[in-house]
Amino acid sequence: MNGMMISSYLSLIISSILIIFALIFNPAVWIVYGIAIVFIPLFILSLGLITMAKSNKEEQEERKEEPFIGY
Amino acid sequence: MNLMANIIINVVIAFLVGSLLLGFHRKVMARIQLRPGPPIIQHFLHSLKFFFKETSFPKTAAMPFYVAIACMYCAIWITAVIVGPISYGSLLLIFAIYAVYKIVEHNAGSSSGSPYGKMSCVRAVFSAAAEIPLFAVLVIIFFQTGTMNLGEIVAYQSANGPLIFSIPLAALMFFILLVSKSPYSPFSITKGKDIISGYETEHFGVLRGYMMLSESISWYILLWVFLTVFIGPLSLLGYLIGMVVITALIAIINTITPILNPNHSVMSQVSIAIIGIGGSLLIMLIV
Repeated sequence: MNGMMISSYLSLIISSILIIFALIFNPAVWIVYGIAIVFIPLFILSLGLITMAKSNKEEQEERKEEPFIGY
Repeated sequence: MNLMANIIINVVIAFLVGSLLLGFHRKVMARIQLRPGPPIIQHFLHSLKFFFKETSFPKTAAMPFYVAIACMYCAIWITAVIVGPISYGSLLLIFAIYAVYKIVEHNAGSSSGSPYGKMSCVRAVFSAAAEIPLFAVLVIIFFQTGTMNLGEIVAYQSANGPLIFSIPLAALMFFILLVSKSPYSPFSITKGKDIISGYETEHFGVLRGYMMLSESISWYILLWVFLTVFIGPLSLLGYLIGMVVITALIAIINTITPILNPNHSVMSQVSIAIIGIGGSLLIMLIV
């Protein structure tokens, strides 16, 4: 598991906990706004990075190479 | 209702309605061009589908900025949901969010390292110079109503009638802003097909799905702001009908107009802004 997957799982767990915290404990308004603005996007992104299909080890380099060579 | 639950529900509604409206936009365009077009639900399905597509990050991308900018795109429109339908806050914040959105367009292009992204990044600066004067429509609204607060503007309209009748040129300016933001717009120079997909060219797979999600929320919010500020207090059905009508109208405009080149796009928008601001002030002085 590479660094990106570890940070994705961490972000998913942290954002889920904070969103559930705001749902259950109903903290001050500015805290809820802060959680919503920062952690809802982070939750969606980390979920996406976890669910996305990954390329094979052999194909990885080929995918990363910049396809445009005319500049 | 619990505030966080309210925010989540509004964000989900903004995404669902926004993506269906963008699907409807494509459908109307297709029908005018005598094509059957994709189903209305297609934009929504695409957004979800991209979350499962194989994604890798190009070597030229400036990581982690390349990923963070997509996250910021979503964050600013979630902020707009909070400022708009949830708290009926200040229009100035919506203006600030739109200004940051132009910066996100710019940086999404530059962070990818692709020449098309970089070209789009330059064009984003051009278009910001033209679209932000259009957003100066807020000044006219302030002169007319004496407030920048969305709730108070709605209250003003319940007492004095919709602003679209008293400051029509300001409404036209905001409408042009909506046209600029719509897909295949004559003013969408940052995503012109001559530069592939502009700043989104290298954001594919999960990041594209993420950006499409933000795009849907932004479309919903801009329509919501237009209807709230210029038509006034509306029921849920009123909002839905208004959004569908404006989307159809913009789809018709986009179908029959080619994408302008950057110079013409900027000059047209600046000219409309000058006519709009000058004309509105003149009308207010006379009436």
